[in-house]
Amino acid sequence: MNNRLLAVLPQASYDTLLPFLEPTPLPLGMAVYESGGTQGYVYFPTSAIVSLLYVLEDGASAEIAITGNEGLVGIALFMGGETTPSRAVVQSAGEGYRLKASVMKKEFETDPDLQHLLLRYTQALITQMAQTAVCNRHHSVDQQLCRWLLLSLDRLPASDLVMTQELIANMLGVRREGVTEAAGRLQAAGLIEYRRGHISVLDRAGLEARVCECYAVVKKEYDRLLPPPASRRVH
Amino acid sequence: MDKIRNSLLAALPRACYEKLLPALVPVVLVFGDILYEPGKPMRDVYFPVNCLVSLLTLVEGHLALEVGMVGREGMVGVALALGIKDSPMRALVQGAGPALRMSAARFSRELERSPSLRRGINGYIHVLMGQISQTAACNRFHNVEARLARWLLMTRDRMGVPQFRMTQDFLASMLGVRRVGVTESASALQRRKLIEYHRGSIHILDQGGLEAAACSCYSPPPYAARPGGPGAAQLKVKLAADPAEHGTEAALAVF
Repeated sequence: MNNRLLAVLPQASYDTLLPFLEPTPLPLGMAVYESGGTQGYVYFPTSAIVSLLYVLEDGASAEIAITGNEGLVGIALFMGGETTPSRAVVQSAGEGYRLKASVMKKEFETDPDLQHLLLRYTQALITQMAQTAVCNRHHSVDQQLCRWLLLSLDRLPASDLVMTQELIANMLGVRREGVTEAAGRLQAAGLIEYRRGHISVLDRAGLEARVCECYAVVKKEYDRLLPPPASRRVH
Repeated sequence: MDKIRNSLLAALPRACYEKLLPALVPVVLVFGDILYEPGKPMRDVYFPVNCLVSLLTLVEGHLALEVGMVGREGMVGVALALGIKDSPMRALVQGAGPALRMSAARFSRELERSPSLRRGINGYIHVLMGQISQTAACNRFHNVEARLARWLLMTRDRMGVPQFRMTQDFLASMLGVRRVGVTESASALQRRKLIEYHRGSIHILDQGGLEAAACSCYSPPPYAARPGGPGAAQLKVKLAADPAEHGTEAALAVF
């Protein structure tokens, strides 16, 4: 199972969920949830990446966290929120599994192993959100772009991202020119190659050398809180 | 009789609250006290009554940026409810005052055996995550003056008084801006007679004016209701809709 949460679930919990997990495509730009909307499903991405965006009263929105094959989209459902405070949009196309809200709610209440895992995941997500608040305040667009590329890369099977500068600008909440300049500098340094909505990472270590501490803080926290993925026998 | 003055506890079913009561120790939190350090175990949880605790994320090991603020609407130590023993953040007492303390071990036990408590705490975590997300977005888009105004209003709501101690260095760190940015913004608010700032003490003179100066991220919590204000109506509706749940408020004394 190419989703870390599903992969680390104890066998019994996994077996209970399995019949209800529906493979689902997650195309670029799909709004998984709207801010203030209700949730019919939760999503476990396998190859897609979903951005959580906070929409301010004045309409501006910024990414507060990303979720890919390490997590699940829709924790508000079992944390008791009737609606989601953020907007969730697919920022990198791929696949995932979806699970009916009613099944998720029931299993969360009755399966302690599942509950404990999802609560720890929630803490990891909180850390990512808090670190985004820090990064938004303290770090340059170059550093933020590096963080964003590395977090995305960790959640993708390949080292290519299909992504327009406009989308990145929206995610990071900066002007498009800011992203263009930052991407230009990373390209000049030979770290990435950028071509018409396509970013190839050429030098991952180089990105890691430039990125702010936020990337490592988030990665370390996910590794600390969530058990390492184990291979599961699929029957 | 006094009512339960922590809203999270007040919203619990009466039976659930009564079970917690013997384990809740009234304490007074002191300005500047650090309740948790990142990476260190959390020994107790706190339910603020008339005090204010800042949740801070450290940047480069020294700057501390505020990502959340906890007053009587919540509790300090939610990470324990998420199954984590070491604090992911620093928790700093920013407004002194009474709170209720419970040992971490007892809290974890109560949580395991009480689904009502679990539901109440999870609901609060959901709200807190909304606040952290909003802060992340607010940090990105809004100017220092609007953020300062919001911060002062949030502090006032949670402290229940319009005057509190605050140094500009501390404010600069909280808001993640240079000190000169805080000085300029505070002066601008002072010139418009919205606040008075004097020797580490801030006094809110014009609540309505300050609300107009704050960014759209500010909204008063229900308990901060002023007579006739929008918050008051909200609280009344909630009480009328669920008298059983809130009936405990009048009957049980905490202090």
